[in-house]
Amino acid sequence: MLSASSAVRALRASSAPASLRPLVCAQCLGLVRAALEPRPPVASRSRRQLAFCARAGSQAAPGGSAAGAAAGAGVPFRKRRKDEARARKAAAKAGGEGRGRAERAEAGGSGGWELTVGIEIHAELNAARKLFSEAAGSNYNVRCGSGAGGLDAPNTRVAEFDLALPGAQPTFQKGALVPAIRAALALGCEVQRRSGWDRKHYFYQDQPNGYQITQYYEPFAKNGHITLYPHDGLPASDGASLTVGIKQVQLEQDTAKTLLRPGVAGGDGGQPGTMTTTTTTTTTTTTTTAHLLDFNRVSHPLVEIITLPQLHSPRAAAACVRKIQGLLAGVDALAAGMELGGLRADVNVSVRRRRNGRDAEADEGAAGAAQSYGGVAGLGTRTEIKNLSSFKAVEDAVALERDRQVAVLEAGGRVESETRGYALGARETRKLRGKEGEVDYRYMPDPDLGPLLIGRELVERLGEGLPLLPDQVVARLVEGGVSVKDAVTLAGLEGGDRVEFYWEVVEGLEETLSGEERERVKPRRLAANWVLHELGGHLAAAPFPSPLSPYPISPSALSSLLVLLARRVITGPTAKHILASLVAGDARDPTCIVEEEGLALKPMSDEDYAALASEMVRENEGMVEQVRKEKEKGRGGERGKVGWFVGQMVRRGEEGMVEPGRAEAAVRKVLGLDG
Amino acid sequence: MSLLRQAERCVANQVAWKHLNAFISVAAADDVLRQAREADETSSSGRGGAPSSSPLHGRLIALKDNICTTDLPTTCGSAILARYTSPFDATVTTRLRAAGAIVAGKTNMDEFGMGSHSRYSHFGGVAQPASSHSSATSTTAPAHQLPPNPTDAALLSAGGSSGGSALAVSTLQAHAALGTDTGGSVRLPASYVGVLGFKPSYGRVSRWGVVAYANSLDTVGVLAPGARVARDVFAALDAWDPRDPTSLSARTRVRLSAMDATREPRVRRGLRIGVPREYNIAELSPAVRRAWARALERLSAAGHAVRPVSLPTTRLALSAYYVLAPAEASSNLAKYDGVRYGSRAAGPDSGSVARTAGGENADAVGDDGDGDILFARTRAAFFGPEVKRRLVLGAYTLSASAMDNYFVQAQRVRRLVAADFDAVFAVANPLTTAARPPVRSGGAPAADDDAKVDVLVCPTAPTPAPRLADVERLRPVDAYTNDVFTVPASLAGLPAASVPVEGEGEGEDSEGKIGMQVIGQFGDDGLVLDVAEVMEGLR
Repeated sequence: MLSASSAVRALRASSAPASLRPLVCAQCLGLVRAALEPRPPVASRSRRQLAFCARAGSQAAPGGSAAGAAAGAGVPFRKRRKDEARARKAAAKAGGEGRGRAERAEAGGSGGWELTVGIEIHAELNAARKLFSEAAGSNYNVRCGSGAGGLDAPNTRVAEFDLALPGAQPTFQKGALVPAIRAALALGCEVQRRSGWDRKHYFYQDQPNGYQITQYYEPFAKNGHITLYPHDGLPASDGASLTVGIKQVQLEQDTAKTLLRPGVAGGDGGQPGTMTTTTTTTTTTTTTTAHLLDFNRVSHPLVEIITLPQLHSPRAAAACVRKIQGLLAGVDALAAGMELGGLRADVNVSVRRRRNGRDAEADEGAAGAAQSYGGVAGLGTRTEIKNLSSFKAVEDAVALERDRQVAVLEAGGRVESETRGYALGARETRKLRGKEGEVDYRYMPDPDLGPLLIGRELVERLGEGLPLLPDQVVARLVEGGVSVKDAVTLAGLEGGDRVEFYWEVVEGLEETLSGEERERVKPRRLAANWVLHELGGHLAAAPFPSPLSPYPISPSALSSLLVLLARRVITGPTAKHILASLVAGDARDPTCIVEEEGLALKPMSDEDYAALASEMVRENEGMVEQVRKEKEKGRGGERGKVGWFVGQMVRRGEEGMVEPGRAEAAVRKVLGLDG
Repeated sequence: MSLLRQAERCVANQVAWKHLNAFISVAAADDVLRQAREADETSSSGRGGAPSSSPLHGRLIALKDNICTTDLPTTCGSAILARYTSPFDATVTTRLRAAGAIVAGKTNMDEFGMGSHSRYSHFGGVAQPASSHSSATSTTAPAHQLPPNPTDAALLSAGGSSGGSALAVSTLQAHAALGTDTGGSVRLPASYVGVLGFKPSYGRVSRWGVVAYANSLDTVGVLAPGARVARDVFAALDAWDPRDPTSLSARTRVRLSAMDATREPRVRRGLRIGVPREYNIAELSPAVRRAWARALERLSAAGHAVRPVSLPTTRLALSAYYVLAPAEASSNLAKYDGVRYGSRAAGPDSGSVARTAGGENADAVGDDGDGDILFARTRAAFFGPEVKRRLVLGAYTLSASAMDNYFVQAQRVRRLVAADFDAVFAVANPLTTAARPPVRSGGAPAADDDAKVDVLVCPTAPTPAPRLADVERLRPVDAYTNDVFTVPASLAGLPAASVPVEGEGEGEDSEGKIGMQVIGQFGDDGLVLDVAEVMEGLR
């Protein structure tokens, strides 16, 4: 096994005096750390540079907004930022209105346009090692990390092959198959017995071999599908449910992380810590930017999930990505969610004109010949928007791109097949490269790696051990009487931990309560209410940091509290007080607390019932009169009125204390209906 | 002779023949001699254990400079790795050291193995004097002390790409040497300089730490004064390596040893030797054709059955090879971008200004519209002309529009070539299931059992070692035809050895040594070396 430390030794050795310059040396690592610590974690420009851009009135200002360009020299940075934020807000609003119009167009009607979206998702697998070396994979255990790669010192999780050292060869790590197969099964795919490895070639500094190993010709899983429901965020206009085909799922390597470190002077490539340099030209001066490379993430196992082009609204597209993330997380296949960079999406967008309300066709005249992708024919020319890193970005980018394409076509132009980019908050997608700039990846079967053979047995075993999928969890909750809204919320909290907690509470309740009691209190609904809302309230007020559990009380403590409530030993408000004290650290059993603090409610006597019934009768003389009239008619019509009185008594008495049977007896007695 | 004496003689020859450029780097002499002295001590005291009983104990072995060593640079004969030292030893290096061998140095080669004369080296080309065959046995310093001048009529090609390794053995600068053979790079130089060159079956010797040229063809091979030493070196290397995904598994090796067990009776009974008709090409030099005929006559006289066989796909093999090898090379050499190690052109080597910290699939191509391609300056500055030629060729044959016509077709030819061999060997290929009928390319009927053979014997190259002056005048593509006889065994992954036989004539008129190639069924490596040894004895 190659440990991180020996990898570092390896790196040091490779940069021994013989090589031209130390490229991954201790000094570089120091610089990377320095770059990470005092500055915001890169990705955008440093403040100093922002100020510089502002002074220069550069077009490279963040967002590139109109306000940014208008802001003249000498405007203080803080004010400029405010103005920009305001401009962005206004733009978003305008965009929103535009969307409204387009949403209407989407709803149908001749002359409208139909949007078609297919999605490619790259998800980092929850695997201990890299795909082709024993080096440890990405680390997301530290949840406050700056994104993919976690917080480890840069370039410490690297083996020879990961750096593409001459003579190093890949060794497939079987461990990656466990999350990969789980993911494929969660997406309803057929896992292939035999699949292969292919090299996808392109030059980029985050790709040490000059190619990515992927499964282009023979992916390991095919022909799956997922179903989107309104609770997933599917808009009403897309119907009650939408099934989206999964064309294939393929295993592949992740890339290294590039960190931009601006403002490095010179650019002779010989600077310590300078790995690759690019020259950035602004309107006034030339600065050189260093790209610092962290290879911790390189070759971490990814799955690429390709859907069929079967989505027809921006919200459905976002819902699809969210759903896939939930599915992968639900089966423990995902290293981290979109918010941490563990999942990225590319969307393929096209529009075609609707005809006769229903059938849509590619606009032959304007858009050229109709296109076909993934077996779906008659589509308009598509564009691809790459590297979207949030659900919102997916939704916004699709909406903006649809609007752009519709505008182009309505103006008589044609949509070009091209690759575009989108930055959150931007007002339109941006062209990255056209068809002529398309990369020929020169796919070639990897001559070092044999085929990947996956046994039936492994797939079956993993299938049996698969946790319930989120939809199944929700269905089970709803069966127990929980509302769909609460069920969806419960299922999604703390990555599924909350629903686990819930089931333990339910189990405690159902074991203790008698059949009659269960019938009366509906323990599953009761538990859902307390686990979601009451306990949730405490969690929201003060998150409970513990390495072992995210919850301040045990499920058994909550279930014994709820047993007391269900059996009417205590009232609801009392139960809430006890919960608060448990959360605050009272270690006693709820039963003890009730006894020692004398919180148990004494049951009502017959006299108490009589007094309560009399009180009700006194207060509602009109009702008493009606009862008398009905009684005279002799058709039994008074029964409903008695029921009304019982209801009033239940409401008036201490919560949970008035038993309807005894209350009815007392009312009938007071009203003189007995005998 | 003591191990120290032999080491001293090698070191002396390294100094004497320095001008022939066999080595890119040599181990420090005092270090080498110290190890040899220690080896002598452990041998005489008998306390050495396993290494001292190993035939490689205390012997100097030279390694081709594409085999990784931590103590000497690994340059692949290229400017792009001119000052690169690997942080790890290749598995073959580790195994040789474990067997008690001393690494003599790193031998010169065509850049990344691409060439047939060891002239395409950043460190200057290799040459052999016309008289080196006779000089090799002499312990006195040779007459040539000046750097080789390609126009010198007395200089011959040492063959390539393992020319440095072959020359190091022929001039006694090392006991034996490792080379790599992708399409003939061990056998061709062995043939030209007159030593034994052995390319084992693909997958028997680990490639971990051997810098890839074309992975599906690359094989570590042995250059040795004779079959016996070649067998010693091969025995030290022939083992499964978990680090090389193409290394034959322990399970396959069990099958191979069952095959190996039948080898002695086969030799004793008299070998059936196949002579492939298709190898008797018009371009074959008369000297080689005569040597081939003489070798067959001698084998026949020694009681072995010589019979003609047909390998109909042979004529397609060379073109298929020159599609597949450059395709894999263009992929394998994509890693040399100057970013993590190796040489790098001065100044920014990036094509784009607008590129942000992109991740997965971020726009990969580095074209910023100014025609400035990512890493182009580094790769243009540090790759030699032949490497560039093959990279461009490979990139083309893999491109979407050409893939089906070239790469895919060449893979089909490769299968046909393998099927041709399976059809003539008496022993079934242990890698393919026994029951499968061989695929035939043409109408030639499958040979019945009587017509089948144990090994094939044919020339290694169409000509003896050419004069350097002639080589320099060749068009690059003309040099590719040197590989015509060696490429088929490479495509099929078969074991093959080049055995030196004497040409005709004496003194000034001597045709020198000519290489005869022995090719065996997959896994029949032991038999190939046996036949080589038999041929060495037929003088």
